[in-house]
Amino acid sequence: MSEHDEIRDLLSLAAAGALSAEEEGRVARHLRECTACSAELEGWQALAAGLRRLPTPQPPAALLERVRASVEWQFAAEAEQRWNRGVLAFTLLFAWTVTLASWPIFRLVSGDMLGWLAPGFGKLWLGLVGYTVVAWLTGGVAAATLAYSRRRERRVA
Amino acid sequence: MIAEAAMSWEVPVGLEAEVAQLRRGDLNALAALLARYQNRLYRYLLRLVREPATAEDLFQQTWLRVAERIRHYDSRRSFEAWLFAVAHNLAIDNLRRIRPESLDEESSQGGAAVERLVSADPPAFDRTLSRERSVRLAAVMAELPVIYRDVLTLRFEEEMKLEEIAEVLGSPLSTVKTRLKRSLDQLRRTLETRFPGEDWQ
Repeated sequence: MSEHDEIRDLLSLAAAGALSAEEEGRVARHLRECTACSAELEGWQALAAGLRRLPTPQPPAALLERVRASVEWQFAAEAEQRWNRGVLAFTLLFAWTVTLASWPIFRLVSGDMLGWLAPGFGKLWLGLVGYTVVAWLTGGVAAATLAYSRRRERRVA
Repeated sequence: MIAEAAMSWEVPVGLEAEVAQLRRGDLNALAALLARYQNRLYRYLLRLVREPATAEDLFQQTWLRVAERIRHYDSRRSFEAWLFAVAHNLAIDNLRRIRPESLDEESSQGGAAVERLVSADPPAFDRTLSRERSVRLAAVMAELPVIYRDVLTLRFEEEMKLEEIAEVLGSPLSTVKTRLKRSLDQLRRTLETRFPGEDWQ
């Protein structure tokens, strides 16, 4: 490809302002001597100017209102989610504290009862563990079901 | 030119503060960002999908996605490029769902939606010659494949630098440059065939 053809090939990008400094230099040097390429560049520049001047369509005002409302709703939903997560974390911490503290308190308060229950101590301990596990599992399943149904309701809305 | 563009992108005054406020869930910041970008973003989406109803839907989805992901946005990047990249990805996903074959091949449709692409305003009584040229130019541009429309509108209407366009499209700079050249070649060829001797300024 001759120098002339190579430069000609660069003219569209020159009009688009997309040449490297080195390419720009080559084009400028060639244009000083080549009137055909100068005229060709003018054609590209006219097209580029036309593209820059295409009228801008405006979004409808109702659309902007809709966007504001939907983002507001999303922010509110996120804030509620953050609050729910905080409440859940606090409730979990509180429930575990109560669960773990209940056994020593129970022993402390019911010293006599413990003696009375002594033959069944092993069973009582197992019962407490079983009760705790069942209670937590039930609570977990209920929380997951509630969260799932709420998310589904939100999606439908 | 590219060397110049490699310099850091200028951040418009107030934009950084608005983005920071939006991160904190401030709706006033959303209103400010909407006012700043509403016309450009809507125009960009309309150039890509060509249907106003779809563009409106994508416009809304874009802002919802922005609100959802603004906390993950890296403030060292250009917000504008990030915003348009969100819109670009949503539009391309939408086009892939509707017309999987139209993304990299020449599309035959365009005529019906073309008038709406130019302006939502009713046609002016004293339509000027330059406006007629704009309508024709927009019509031919709308017939180009989406990958060409994409790069043309980002370069000439959004006046983005090649680096920013590459970030929006998620493509290498060399690809953007090649695509820009091909899109201009195809646009000019079509115009010269259809409207010989016309001056497009």
